[in-house]
Amino acid sequence: MAAAAVAVAEPKTKYDRQLRIWGDQGQAALEKASICLLNSGPTGTEALKNLVLGGIGSVTVVDGSKVEPSDLGNNFLCNSRVNKECLGQSRAQSVCSFLQELNDAVKVKYVEESPGTMIDTNPSFFSQFTVVIATQLPESSLLKLDGICRAADIVLVAARSYGLTGLVRVSVKEHCVIESKPDHFLDDLRLHNPWTELKQFAKSIDICDKDPVVHKHTPYIVILVRLAEKWADAHDGKLPSTRQEKREFKDLIRAHMLNVDEENYKEAVESSYKVSVTPGISTEIRQIIDDSSSEVNLSSSDFWVLVAALKEFIANEGNGDLPLEGTIPDMTSQTEYYVSLQKIYQAKAETDCLAMEHRVKNILKRIGRHPDSISRAYIKTFCKNARKLRVCRYRSMEEEFNAPVISEVQKYFADEDSCFAMNFYILLRAVDRLAANYSRLPGIFDSEIDEDVPRLKVAAVSVLSDMGLNGTSLSEDLVTEVCRFAGAEIHPVAAFIGGVASQEVIKLVTKQFVPLMGTFIFNGIDLKSQVLAL
Amino acid sequence: MASAASEEAVKAAKVLMVGAGGIGCELLKTLALTGFSDIHLIDLDTIEVSNLNRQFLFRKSHVGQSKAHVARDAVLKFRPKINISSYHANVKDAQFNVDFFKQFNVVLNGLDNLDARRHVNRLCLAAEVPLVESGTTGFLGQVTVHVKGKTECYECQPKPVPKSYPVCTITSTPSKFVHCIVWAKDLLFAKLFGDKNQDNDLNVHSKDGSSSKSDVFERDVDEDLDQYARRIYDHVFGYNIEVALDNEETWKNRRRPTPVYIRDTLPEETVQQNGTSRECNNGHEEPSAMASLGFRNPQEIWTLADNSRVFLETLKLFFEKRQKEIGNLIFDKDDQLAVELVTSAANIRAHSFGIPLHSLFEAKGVAGNIVHAVATTNAMIAGLIVIEAVKVLQGDYKNYRMTYCLEHAKRKMLLMPVEPFEPNESCYVCSETPLLLDVNTKTTKLREVIDKIIKSKLGMNLPLVMIGSTLVFEDGDGLEEDEAANYALNLEKVLAELPAPVINGTKLTVEDFQQELSCSINIKHREEFDEEKEPDGMVLSGWSAPVEKQVTSNGGKLAASSSSAHDTVGDASANPGTKRKLDEVLESKENCDASSSAQVIEDDDDTIMLDEDPTLLKKKRSQ
Repeated sequence: MAAAAVAVAEPKTKYDRQLRIWGDQGQAALEKASICLLNSGPTGTEALKNLVLGGIGSVTVVDGSKVEPSDLGNNFLCNSRVNKECLGQSRAQSVCSFLQELNDAVKVKYVEESPGTMIDTNPSFFSQFTVVIATQLPESSLLKLDGICRAADIVLVAARSYGLTGLVRVSVKEHCVIESKPDHFLDDLRLHNPWTELKQFAKSIDICDKDPVVHKHTPYIVILVRLAEKWADAHDGKLPSTRQEKREFKDLIRAHMLNVDEENYKEAVESSYKVSVTPGISTEIRQIIDDSSSEVNLSSSDFWVLVAALKEFIANEGNGDLPLEGTIPDMTSQTEYYVSLQKIYQAKAETDCLAMEHRVKNILKRIGRHPDSISRAYIKTFCKNARKLRVCRYRSMEEEFNAPVISEVQKYFADEDSCFAMNFYILLRAVDRLAANYSRLPGIFDSEIDEDVPRLKVAAVSVLSDMGLNGTSLSEDLVTEVCRFAGAEIHPVAAFIGGVASQEVIKLVTKQFVPLMGTFIFNGIDLKSQVLAL
Repeated sequence: MASAASEEAVKAAKVLMVGAGGIGCELLKTLALTGFSDIHLIDLDTIEVSNLNRQFLFRKSHVGQSKAHVARDAVLKFRPKINISSYHANVKDAQFNVDFFKQFNVVLNGLDNLDARRHVNRLCLAAEVPLVESGTTGFLGQVTVHVKGKTECYECQPKPVPKSYPVCTITSTPSKFVHCIVWAKDLLFAKLFGDKNQDNDLNVHSKDGSSSKSDVFERDVDEDLDQYARRIYDHVFGYNIEVALDNEETWKNRRRPTPVYIRDTLPEETVQQNGTSRECNNGHEEPSAMASLGFRNPQEIWTLADNSRVFLETLKLFFEKRQKEIGNLIFDKDDQLAVELVTSAANIRAHSFGIPLHSLFEAKGVAGNIVHAVATTNAMIAGLIVIEAVKVLQGDYKNYRMTYCLEHAKRKMLLMPVEPFEPNESCYVCSETPLLLDVNTKTTKLREVIDKIIKSKLGMNLPLVMIGSTLVFEDGDGLEEDEAANYALNLEKVLAELPAPVINGTKLTVEDFQQELSCSINIKHREEFDEEKEPDGMVLSGWSAPVEKQVTSNGGKLAASSSSAHDTVGDASANPGTKRKLDEVLESKENCDASSSAQVIEDDDDTIMLDEDPTLLKKKRSQ
């Protein structure tokens, strides 16, 4: 028994630090995911290395090349075995043997085939994966792959390192996030709209108690509920909303202080704005519940079934509000008061969640699914995060390339910060066009740099004109700079771009956090970065 | 990089890396693959299982071995021709003096604690070697450059001060779970297994003094282990609570705690039945109460009875399996048995005081101030460090950047590059501005000033204290016996009674020869200190007041402050005047994010560092 317990506990220990970011659910999703990597250069192997360390389910490397001396210089994974022995070996195999060493819990496989050929001849190969990471792939292959992945509903993450620049682009029709984990969010306290139990509890405490110890241990939730009521009584039932009123409300709170150092009153003053929050739901959530996908049918995803239930909830039990989150922040308080408040918030959250559960079951029945086919835990997580739901939809690469949003593009060109990113975006596409004509990347031969600069410029102008942007000029310096890069995959940039790509994969697989909404461009010259939504 | 000049600079460079942890592993690999060929690496840690999800140069078979040596060997396997020198040692050791630092072209930090970061900063300033500093927490990270005279030094901006709790909150009136954890870790665990000579605020006297022992924690040679464990249980969770309850004044406006006795929590279990499964531990596995009791899920909240079982079992396992370590154990978040003991004890205490119980997983996070960490961020940050290091080697001063990596793209940016700031003219480390110390010179001993201010706040390692031309204290080896005795005497004297009396207006000169740092402190005599806000009984101010952390870890406040932060972030690039703000804001934000209970955390990849409890800091230093 002891041995069994240790065996269960061990992987937890190994993943302890990351479980604190994405939890057991996130880890379980990672362990179920299968990833396909196209091209195992430094960028791709860096990305996979990070995922293998984190305990991803399985990885499959597709690469038809052999290990060359240049790989020994910039790719860690190739030469884990004693040095030059692996020269001439399959690069995919060499990379995999190293990846396997990192984590024996991960299934590591490889296919010795060029990614381009795989895309052209065996498109159904990709349907077995959760995510495909395409690295260092030219535009033409990437476009085809995007079409294949979209048709099969596979997530695609494209990554490229090029000299001191690089890009990462996520592509998937729709990605719904329940746990978006924003790094700041207002507590869901309902101080503007307290329900009966909360009001009753607040009433049960005398906020004018003259005992200084009781007075300074009354939690600010109680103070605010009571004083908001008092305020409303004196203002036609309205809560403070203008700047002036908010200031007066703070004064009202301060007037109740017995002593200047009462922490709970200071907290009440600082939190007084929570009384004035706009009632009802945010525009983001409104958009989601009004989305046509919330009219559910048998083929709807669990997420949208929940959204449908949420819509009903808001219109009925919710009285225009979302289910309550049910947690309260730390605050200065007597322990009993705090514990009672916790229980009151929890109880309301449970009631709301139960109502949601009921509605979910009815909807499932209506659309012909088993009423228990969505788990309670899922519904609970959904309710807890109802204010933070996110739906991410990405345009296909074909749409982006053929019909860019011109107004956005012009905005990016005009903006000082994003102008460089737009330049790199155009130049990285131009590089592929040049390569298609000359069968090599610009700047590869020192002797031809002078000729390659104007060639790259011509290619860039053709990209611009295809986008409908005649007359837009690029930075001469950057054109020269990109030529000089000569397509080098230098390690610090590969580590960074690979890191970003694997981070996106983690977000997409765990369905936590919000993935980058567009093409992420990195500029290693002055470490700027920009997400272009085109 | 990507140019002949940078390739030359990289090839010729001699670099020092401090830290071979999460960032360090990535950094060493990236340096090697970028063409660096003379790398020196210092790390005093050994490899733990919880490193393996990101410190990719290490394997399970390396657990327990030196990080520096294993990392070196792993990288030499694929780059056999480069020179990597590894030191399994503390960067604060005397061998790494200013002359040692002078041989390098650049120093790269991948550290996990403020103390060492400050030390390296000072040596880099003294040796005039550029420093590239870094840190990560979850998806957040940062890379900064510090070049003497050109940019601010690591300490030009005050770092957030660690949260400390009033002693009485910990010993008698806990109101949050974190208070119970601090009690279990810094009082109970330290009392049971730590250095016996340490001060400890735990009551050790038994009921009516009937016992022959002056300290109930002492175990007789022939005392039955089960008996002992139960006796300790009843003493700390039962009797000590009864004693506290006698002080009516305390409870006038507080909920009274409930004493907990073993006969009530585990009435059905006799001494013999309990802990029969110990044989399961066959000596190969680390002893664990969870394993021997068959508890598998660290994320489950145990009942009071289960917590009691775990508590008794851990106590027994320590005495049975780890007897040799008793007396010099220091709480370590990677020590499973220690975490089990602290979790169960904190939970039993929480039960007494009506505070919600927590799982081992959560308790471990609080106790270890664990910063979450993931491979992706470390890889990204290591890439950025090397890009920055190459600029430093080429003296490309105008392109230096302080870079912050964000968790969520803000205004469509994931990275926030900021131009470095000028040195802070009032920084006590890189300029010579005097500090001001408010202290009661009639009651405060020199020892307290040295421990709480000079070592803890100023981060000096081996300080020397002078009043005018009179040397009153010096640390370190090589002292004459009579000198050492004299200094030891001075330590116990109050300031006003030192050979050169320290009174209002006196100026102290404090120096650390190893760090080549000297600064002066002007003394202001003050008699009254707020016990809650100024628990040290001393207040240091001067170069700029340390950022005051949110004292009541109020989630609402944190949320509010970080929401305004984002606006600042967005505007920063447009308006250079706000850049400074961005820096501060991000730094404080990081700390908020990293810790649910608003203890201050180091922004690092691996761990903790700043603990909320000053006594623990002291222990860490002496390690």
